Amino acid sequence: MRNTRPVLATSLLLSTTGCGVYALPAGATTQAQVLRQDWIVFTLAGLFVAVVVFGLILFPLFAWRRRSNDYPVQFSRNTKLELIYTIIPLLMVIALFAVTYRDEIIVEHLGAHPANTVDVLAFQWSWRFHYVGTAINIEGTPNAPPQLILPVDETTRINLTSSDVNHEFWVPAFLFKRDAIAGVKNSFDLRPIHIGVYLGRCAEFCGFDHALMTFTVRVVSQTDYVRWLRAGGSSIVPSAEGSTL
Amino acid sequence: MNTATTAPSSLAHHGIIEWLTSTDHKHVGILYMCTAIFYFLVAGLLALVIRAQLSQPEMTLVGPHQYAQIFTLHGTAMIFLFVVPFALGLANFLIPLQIGAPDMAFPRLNAFTYWLFFFAGLTIFSGVFVNGGAAATGWYAYAPLSEISVSTGGGQDLWIVGLLMSSISGILTAVNFITTIFLYRAPGMTMWRLPIFTWEMVATSLLILMAFPSLAAVLAMLFIDRHFGGQFFDATAGGNPVLYQHLFWFFGHPEVYIMILPFFGVISEIIPVFSRKPIFGYTGLVLSAFAIAGLSMGVWAHHMFTTGVVTNAFFAAVSFLIAVPTGVKFFNWVGTMWRGSIVFTTPMIFAIGFMLNFLIGGISGVMIASPPIDFQAKDSYFLVSHFHYVLGGGSLFAIFGAIYFWFPKVFGKMLSERLGKWCFWLLFIGFNTTFFVMQFLGVMGMPRRIYTYPALPGWGNLNMVASIGSLIMAAGVLVFAWDVVTASLSRKHAPDDPWGGYSLEWWTTSPPPEYNFTSLPPIRSERPVFDAKHPELVRSGSS
Repeated sequence: MRNTRPVLATSLLLSTTGCGVYALPAGATTQAQVLRQDWIVFTLAGLFVAVVVFGLILFPLFAWRRRSNDYPVQFSRNTKLELIYTIIPLLMVIALFAVTYRDEIIVEHLGAHPANTVDVLAFQWSWRFHYVGTAINIEGTPNAPPQLILPVDETTRINLTSSDVNHEFWVPAFLFKRDAIAGVKNSFDLRPIHIGVYLGRCAEFCGFDHALMTFTVRVVSQTDYVRWLRAGGSSIVPSAEGSTL
Repeated sequence: MNTATTAPSSLAHHGIIEWLTSTDHKHVGILYMCTAIFYFLVAGLLALVIRAQLSQPEMTLVGPHQYAQIFTLHGTAMIFLFVVPFALGLANFLIPLQIGAPDMAFPRLNAFTYWLFFFAGLTIFSGVFVNGGAAATGWYAYAPLSEISVSTGGGQDLWIVGLLMSSISGILTAVNFITTIFLYRAPGMTMWRLPIFTWEMVATSLLILMAFPSLAAVLAMLFIDRHFGGQFFDATAGGNPVLYQHLFWFFGHPEVYIMILPFFGVISEIIPVFSRKPIFGYTGLVLSAFAIAGLSMGVWAHHMFTTGVVTNAFFAAVSFLIAVPTGVKFFNWVGTMWRGSIVFTTPMIFAIGFMLNFLIGGISGVMIASPPIDFQAKDSYFLVSHFHYVLGGGSLFAIFGAIYFWFPKVFGKMLSERLGKWCFWLLFIGFNTTFFVMQFLGVMGMPRRIYTYPALPGWGNLNMVASIGSLIMAAGVLVFAWDVVTASLSRKHAPDDPWGGYSLEWWTTSPPPEYNFTSLPPIRSERPVFDAKHPELVRSGSS
């Protein structure tokens, strides 16, 4: 870890939004590290609002339950208070928007010279990965999902499209998904930070075998990646150190 | 049946022919609501099948084709055949009563909209019997998946035609509501004395008029694509699949508010009565409805953050802003309860349940309005949890609150407070058991609309919890059904004003006579009935 703040924030998130397997994945790309910050900020803000407003709803139920037949004071307005409870949420969402705007720019930034480029084609119901500049084409089927090989600590550009209906490229461990739409080329950068195998899948309902339209991402060391490319994508990569996430 | 001789008999003793041909807004409203509840039960049964199929990894109760039809019909029925028609039915029943009018502005048009909706539902569900089965592309039926080259069956066409009928029905109803509210108010009922529910229906009707034409257009284009070589959404022929999403969500997001604004109105009627105080911040509450309606026309592409072809920052900003007027409503409700004299009747606890559930849905809504979060949450069970907290925890709880609140007025019978509380707690516990865990499933990576999943760590456990919750909810619905049956068979008549109500419907008999009122109290505030019964408490200088 480069600094302790992510650790602190992570433990906060674990204690609030889940623990162990029941939680947001750690984020296995540099982009995912940024996305994860966004999750933490919004979760904490959400918990704060939840505690305050739950309290405001529940407190009167205990404090002012009916005790006699007399009607309470029939007040119905307080302009100053109404302005306050309009302006404070407005300031809060402006702050949240600032966080969002900053993080989205980082995540969607396309590097000028990505080390590798993979054209990803989605179709009913699998994927084809073409490594640009090579003859490597990896195509799967619903029962034999393909594997996307990515080098660690290097930026890979993904160019995504579909040859039929809408699909969606999602790797939960990367905290990221993007639509595959016929006639649209969507590009994004991934820079994995941990060697390992990650599950990926189609997230947009695309027909009956949508549930089986999966793939795996194997992040390997840069030397393994180069060896694999030289062998035309056919050599077996040494088993990854990480487990499937 | 020409005249209502005695008030209580006018609704209950109508024969079947009278029901089928009636243009009385109360009959039309009851038909709407009963039909909507029928579809709620059907769609709820479909949900139980979904939860059974997903209760464990690799289940084979239903196959992929059946599963796709089930979730498509579940979503379509809950949205188009339950929540929206229930709101329209309740408004049909209440608007003329709340503004002191004898009927809607266009009674025959009103009956026509009901029958259009009635046949719309049959048309959509008749897909079950055609070759290839019912529509199986989800409630938003994205092209190209819904194009004829992929979805070859007639079920998709029946779905398109049914939704077209339902959208026309909705547009005509909105015209009727707005005309009635603007032109048929009783003397003294100024716009700034309208009950909040009626105000929310003004905002809802305006939204329907702006949003439903876009639905009708996209459905017509899809039908033309399917049968007349339209190629609107065919990328290989110069069309654009993204256009479908724009047109659909230009309708689809306002639709979310069409499904919640009426129920903000319901809650804003229930909470003051059972806090025994006027609504807090009436003007702000009304303005917030229009702020929500206006902003909701500019957020449609937050459903498209991952398409890569929309300006995410703009749509995120407007989406965040909607939290402000929605927050205002919460503070209005809290302000109403503040230093009140709170009575825990069944409608009130459903209103409290609504606030607690809707708050969770609202918070997760602000989260997914942030594109970086949406990149993970979209199309996952986090999203499924979010919109069920809004529509199930929100609208559905308000619907139960509305039923318990207005049942005595509509049918002249009281539902049981004891069974009502059982119904509430079963629904509340069941609902939160089912949908809270889905937030975790979503961030862990479970996508929506998959009929099966592998035994990944934790997935089976959370899905089992969700499925158990759905059974608890089902038990709550059974208690409710039993309550309705026993209340209907009971000989005991409900009083005209069982709750100490504020708005004009509590002035007339339960059920109301054919032309609603034989007399009206003076209308000098938004709660004329309260003013008339408690002259000593009338606020000086109140509007």
